[in-house]
Amino acid sequence: MSLGNLVGNYEEAVAMILFGIGFSNLLLQKNLIKKIIGLNIMDTATYLFLALKGYIEGRKAPVVVDGVQSVEAYVNPIPSGLVLTGIVVSVSVTALMLSLTIRLYRRYHTLDLDEISTQLKKEGK
Amino acid sequence: MNFVCNFPFISIIITLFSGPLCTILSGKWAKRVNEAVIVIVGILSACVLGYVGGTGEAFVYRMGHFPAPWGNEIRVGVLEAFMGFFFCVIMLLCMVAGAREREEEIEESKQNLYYVMVNLLLCSLLALIYTNDLFTAYVFVEINTISACGLIMIRQNGRTIEAATRYMIMSLLGSGLLLLGLCFLYDLTGHLLMSNIKEQVHILAQTGQYHIPLMVSVGLMSVGLAMKSALYPFHAWLPDAYGYSTLSSAAILSSLVSKGYIFLLIKIFYRVVGFEVLTGSKVANVLFVFGIIGMIMGSLNAMQEDQITRMIAYSSVAQIGYIYMGIGLATQEGMVASIYHVISHGATKSLLFVAASGLTAASAGGTRYRNLAGSGYRNKLAGIAFTVGSLSMVGMPMFSGFISKLFFAQAAVGHAHKMLPTFIALAISTILNAAYFMKMVISIYSPRYGGNEEEDASYAVQDGWNYGEVSHKEMRRNGGKVIFMKDQPVKAAALICFIVLNFILGLNSEPIIRMIQKGLAMFG
Amino acid sequence: MQVLMLGSIGLPVTSGVVLLAFSLSQRLKAAGRVERTEEEGKLQEGGAWLYAYVFIALICSVGFSMAAAWWGNGSVTVFQLLDTISIYFHVDETGRLFMTIISIIWPVVGIYSVPYMRREGGEKRYYAFFLLAYGMLTGFVYAGNLITMYLFYELITLVSMPLVLHNGTREAVRAGRKYLFYSLCGAYCGLFGIFFLYRYCGSMNFTPGGTLEYAMVSGHEDIVLLAVFVMLLGFGVKAGMLPLHAWLPTAHPVAPSPASAALSSVIVKAGVIAIIRVIFYVVGREFLQGTWVQYTWMTLALLTVFMGSMLAYREQGFKKRLAYSTVSQVSYILFGLSLMTSDALSGALLHVIAHGFIKCGLFLTAGVFLHYYGYGRVEQLRGIGKKMPLVLGCFTLFSLGLIGIPPTLGFLSKWYLAQGALQSQIPVFSWLGPMILLISAFLTAGYLLPVTINGFFPGEETSDLEHTGQKDKTDWGMGISLLLLAVFTLLPGIFPKPLLQFVSEAATIILK
Repeated sequence: MSLGNLVGNYEEAVAMILFGIGFSNLLLQKNLIKKIIGLNIMDTATYLFLALKGYIEGRKAPVVVDGVQSVEAYVNPIPSGLVLTGIVVSVSVTALMLSLTIRLYRRYHTLDLDEISTQLKKEGK
Repeated sequence: MNFVCNFPFISIIITLFSGPLCTILSGKWAKRVNEAVIVIVGILSACVLGYVGGTGEAFVYRMGHFPAPWGNEIRVGVLEAFMGFFFCVIMLLCMVAGAREREEEIEESKQNLYYVMVNLLLCSLLALIYTNDLFTAYVFVEINTISACGLIMIRQNGRTIEAATRYMIMSLLGSGLLLLGLCFLYDLTGHLLMSNIKEQVHILAQTGQYHIPLMVSVGLMSVGLAMKSALYPFHAWLPDAYGYSTLSSAAILSSLVSKGYIFLLIKIFYRVVGFEVLTGSKVANVLFVFGIIGMIMGSLNAMQEDQITRMIAYSSVAQIGYIYMGIGLATQEGMVASIYHVISHGATKSLLFVAASGLTAASAGGTRYRNLAGSGYRNKLAGIAFTVGSLSMVGMPMFSGFISKLFFAQAAVGHAHKMLPTFIALAISTILNAAYFMKMVISIYSPRYGGNEEEDASYAVQDGWNYGEVSHKEMRRNGGKVIFMKDQPVKAAALICFIVLNFILGLNSEPIIRMIQKGLAMFG
Repeated sequence: MQVLMLGSIGLPVTSGVVLLAFSLSQRLKAAGRVERTEEEGKLQEGGAWLYAYVFIALICSVGFSMAAAWWGNGSVTVFQLLDTISIYFHVDETGRLFMTIISIIWPVVGIYSVPYMRREGGEKRYYAFFLLAYGMLTGFVYAGNLITMYLFYELITLVSMPLVLHNGTREAVRAGRKYLFYSLCGAYCGLFGIFFLYRYCGSMNFTPGGTLEYAMVSGHEDIVLLAVFVMLLGFGVKAGMLPLHAWLPTAHPVAPSPASAALSSVIVKAGVIAIIRVIFYVVGREFLQGTWVQYTWMTLALLTVFMGSMLAYREQGFKKRLAYSTVSQVSYILFGLSLMTSDALSGALLHVIAHGFIKCGLFLTAGVFLHYYGYGRVEQLRGIGKKMPLVLGCFTLFSLGLIGIPPTLGFLSKWYLAQGALQSQIPVFSWLGPMILLISAFLTAGYLLPVTINGFFPGEETSDLEHTGQKDKTDWGMGISLLLLAVFTLLPGIFPKPLLQFVSEAATIILK
């Protein structure tokens, strides 16, 4: 039964797996760029999940065309709106992370965060 | 609808727009704008507090034209208004106290950018406090993270950038989890407004439907916010971020930013999930366990720390552990104690950071125990302030720390399983707190020791130790660095305000406690 | 009445704070004077106005507190900390007794401090904390509920710590830290006990016989007993009870002698008062009698008596020896309390008085030797009696008192303690107790009397002191204070009636 559920909701399952991949990358990778990639995978997985939840089979995007005003014809626009907002947030965060990475790379010539920490300890400041 | 009801919205908007405004101003003007904004917002929050206190019930402010299930809302009760006011007061004091350090430590061209960040930070904090919409909360959580990151790295050195990176990583993990939990909840209930979600959750809880997804979502949100507020295992970024950033950043970060997340978490527990659902779940137990571990490990780390700012930062880890322990008790009293501790810790920790910077300045920039010896005489007000802050942290009666400990203990007494762990953890952590804070206090009032007697003597001459009436002029001439109150009137005033605030919280806690209780009742 | 009570706490505290503020700001005003030797700097610091200020403040405070103590049963609520917790003061028998002792010892030590501290330096700071400590002690003794008591207990620790690390030497700072750390640990143990009792007690106000609500306690006896035991250990820290006595021999010797006298004779008793309050006024005697808590307490107290005496016997540092002796003697008192019978309690209270005066005197004599000759070790004191017969005479009297030889007060207290133990009919302890007390008395004789004997009869051996046959003069302040203490040790021993009556009445009330 559980396997059936999993297969039946394979989109959600994929979203969760992607989230897991992204999360563990962000947490465990040493390389900063890989961390950022993980961050993006994580965020995208969430958007995928949201978009999936907002989509109803056979309905259209909530843009009134041909004068059809019935509620049944369209999907809820809010999840899409949330996804858009989320994308904006994640873009800005990614930009900030990248700029931080550049700073660190210029200073320490490495992308490895642990390496940077050991260098800092050596500096003793 | 009374005109006052517009104030929360107005204060968010003012702070939001004053941020970009500061980008085009010079550093000096940006500073003025920033201070003015904080004062205005503080006054507005006070008005709201007065109004809500008068009517005795929370009001809902609709943003835009859409009614409840679709539109975005602000919901303000006593506690929200008080928090808004309190955050403004602390922020103003921190900004004022750290002005000199900012001028010295931040590049001239970047001065105004700092105020952009501070304004945005205040904006996001206010939004977190006031909003009634979960997704809005998420967005402002991110804004909060970004601006806090800016505050950390504005002082450019390797440590701060590294700390900012670590902070960002930890925060992003946290906000990822928060967002996922939020999506789950949205999926389950179909709402984003807190009050609507709560109705649905209530129905779900009663019928027992979707129990596991509900718990997963609550768990995800709690863990996410716990990560963001540096609960114990997620604290790695904290000592560096607090220890090496400029004074006002450290003070604001420690006393406000993490508290904003905690406040949001409590709000989620009360207004989104509902307290009954929380008490029935195991999430609270997880927070409780990590809170207790944090209390002890934070204090242990602080004990091993030799450097004053890092020591205070580690003590923050412990104090956040206290707060989560209180939340983890999952009782009304525990929540009251936690919120009181949010307030008391906010007031005390910023005081400690400001005082520590004063002591450091009087020790030619030295931050370690042995550099700081005798600094309580060289900068008297900072010494007194540090002593007050330490006593409060240690839980001496008459100071705010004692009251929160009392409430934690009272909340724990009678709790079947959690009483003993709470007591033991409180006792151990208090003793450890006493060990490192009092060690520092004694150290700042004792003479410096060098390697041999000659050095001892020269230090004694510099510091005027035990020479009765050696004047400060002499001490200065002898090579000691002495700071008078009149050298830094603004900082002195801020310190005095902090001390007074601490005494008010310690001696006159009853009204505040009552307000918290009333505010929590309004949450429901 | 309220004015008296508040005045007795407020006056010394305010005057102490003023003095402290003055000693901090004095450095600013003195700008301009540059050339000055170290010795001059120290000597100039005092001055008649300082002594006048201190003594007027002290005498007024003593007047206030004595008036508050002896004119009726006053009680006053200062303010509500929380709705359920108030800062509340109340005078009762115990408070009266302890306050009187403190109010005698404090001025005596004050007089002694004048010549002594002029040499040590930092007089303003010293007197500021000296006054503050008096105020805190008053507040502590008059405290009417547990929270108030805890508040002042902590404050006593805080204001007495600067007295310990007055010299500012590395050793003193370390000792001060140790003192603070031990005391705070103890206080927190007490505090958490208070949190427990808060739930199980009808009120936090001190009532003879206790306020424990048995209906609430039933079923939770074990945990309440544990809480009481933790409190005992915690407050026992200040009284130097095993296992947390180690701060005492470290902290007392490094403090300036008058400060160590005050610490050893009075501040240590704060632990005793706290234990009396908790056991007899909050928890209640009935609840504890015959439980493991009582037996463990007795065992610890007796162990401390014995260990303290042994350690004192082996110790060669004079002040350190006296500090170990304090460890031992205060546990006499604790043993008396733990018996919970009327006679033993009278004995304990008498020993509070006796030990207060005697130990104060002993430390002050040690201070005299230190002050004039810089001699801090026992073997250096050989032949000192030739130089200072009067001082050593006083010392001998105090020693006899501490050993418990009539007609001193020490005899009476030990007599009652032993009698109480024998009457208590507690198995084993009823005979073990008096035996250990006796052994400890012999040890006391063993570590105190050789000083006298060698002091007066140095024999053939060479000594550090030059035998010029000339007597050195003692400063009048020191002499007077020693004589006063000697009188206070002897007089109640010779005319014990009124004191005995008062003490036994107090014991009856406490045991109600």
